[in-house]
Amino acid sequence: MSRRFKRQLVSYSFLLPWLVGFAALTIGPIATSIYLSFTDYGLMAPPEWIGLDNYVRIASDDPRFWTAMNVTFTFVVLSVPLKLIFALSIAVALNKGLRGLAVFRAIFYLPSLLGGTVAIAFLWRQIFAGDGLLNRGLEYAFGYDGPSWISNPSTALYTLVLLAIWQFGSSMIIFLAGLRQIPLDMYEAASIDGASRARQFFKITLPLLTPVIFFNAVIQTIDAFKAFTSAFVISGGEGGPIDSTLFYTLYLFQEAFVNLHIGYASALAWVLVVIIAIFTALSFLSAKYWVHYDD
Amino acid sequence: MTDLSAHQNSSGLLFTSKRIVKYCLLTAASLIMLYPLLWMISSSFKPNDEIFTSVSLIPDTLSFDAYVRGWNGLSVSFSKLFFNSLMVSVLAVVGNLISCSLAAYAFTRLRFFGRDFWFALMLGTLIMPQHAVLIPQYVLFLKLGWVNTILPLVVPKFLAIDAFFVFLMVQFFRGLPKELDEAAIMDGCGPWRIYFKIILPLSMPVLATAAVFSFIWTWDDFFAPLIYLNDIQNYTVQLGLRSFVDSTAQSDWSALFAMSTLTVFPIFILFILFQRLLIEGIATTGMKR
Repeated sequence: MSRRFKRQLVSYSFLLPWLVGFAALTIGPIATSIYLSFTDYGLMAPPEWIGLDNYVRIASDDPRFWTAMNVTFTFVVLSVPLKLIFALSIAVALNKGLRGLAVFRAIFYLPSLLGGTVAIAFLWRQIFAGDGLLNRGLEYAFGYDGPSWISNPSTALYTLVLLAIWQFGSSMIIFLAGLRQIPLDMYEAASIDGASRARQFFKITLPLLTPVIFFNAVIQTIDAFKAFTSAFVISGGEGGPIDSTLFYTLYLFQEAFVNLHIGYASALAWVLVVIIAIFTALSFLSAKYWVHYDD
Repeated sequence: MTDLSAHQNSSGLLFTSKRIVKYCLLTAASLIMLYPLLWMISSSFKPNDEIFTSVSLIPDTLSFDAYVRGWNGLSVSFSKLFFNSLMVSVLAVVGNLISCSLAAYAFTRLRFFGRDFWFALMLGTLIMPQHAVLIPQYVLFLKLGWVNTILPLVVPKFLAIDAFFVFLMVQFFRGLPKELDEAAIMDGCGPWRIYFKIILPLSMPVLATAAVFSFIWTWDDFFAPLIYLNDIQNYTVQLGLRSFVDSTAQSDWSALFAMSTLTVFPIFILFILFQRLLIEGIATTGMKR
């Protein structure tokens, strides 16, 4: 065996676990799920090729798909901007040499670490339940006896939006890191020129922060499309009441693992992947019009 | 002169009063953020009839009964569920550290045929949504007879499936001076010795960050256990808590709050211990959570 060949072999021995995982758990499954999306498959009998039928049905004959799209887009469009606004405001407030910064930062960050758990989803259900914390508070403060926010189809989704906003901490930390990159002398020069704090924010901070805003927006949008646990727990696994919290991922889960429509669910999965890809591509295309990069 | 100092004084005063307002607002915001968590913890010590009748955070009487009831509230004890979760999370940490550091080492320190090609594909998997592979992975594990065991939750971690950690380690390894490897090669060390004796010992910060995040993400994970584990004996705490929520419907709230508190407790402890590591990890890489 030549030395060179041996060196290749040794190198590949380091890469071996990743290569096996890539083949068996990424490339193989991608190919399989593309294939399955063109079949009728229910785990029991072998997959049966049905061409584009699954996709046709998604587009033309599946009201729950459109409900799920509607719920998911509403969630994304509301939760992502609001979360980023909170994250940025708090980051700006924390930025300027504040004492106790570490404590505040930790407190605001903690919910992002815990927010995705079953415990917090359950807690949220109890806060917004008919006899939950919010209504007890409202009654205590204003004598107003509120409805159950969770079991009302017109408000249930907004409780989940609130839960997402509550987890603004990780975006805030990324904003804080971004703010630290902005040179202080820019603000000094602006103050000498008599620019107000508000003007400094809009003319210096915001433009220089656009790359970080862009990054956070893309990450949070992709994340919001994938939201699952909280909707699952809060709605009892079914996306209720009357499908008002039927997130796309929840519908996908039901079709795949409850109804065992494996072929159809594979098609649903690819539709989601394509939607996320389009969204990401559009973000990157739009970036050149509003994201400010240093030369 | 008097004029000037008066001016300074008033602006200083303005400055402090502005500061005080800012502190008050931030403190109020922190309290709003923390209130749900504090309410969860305090409710776990309250008797059931007090939880929804009082908005106070301080229980009238401090009782640990709910913890005892909750701990044995399912057909299996929560000891078993905690053990399962701990097992899965620790194995995930070990798997990620080994497999991701090996891959990252190959990508950064070794030269071999096809390296850039594989590296590009690895980066590609970073942005690929899991949904594309979810269903076939499930079918695969089903055919292997692994469903209802912890293998589907653990084995992928030993195959560096979390590309994120590979990327994190690649970034770190790139910062280590190449002269170290060259000197070691002069002394007759092969790649494996360099990996074990030089790279790993110098990489403790990134290994620690990856370990803490792996642990927390695996501990928190609900989806994978939900689809792969059916038997309550194998449940993780997240699944157990969800069954507990469903089974006690509308009755034993304090026990539910007690178990909720316990399931997030390990995360809370890790957060306290490794806060700086976590925050730096997010700030430098933009990790999502």
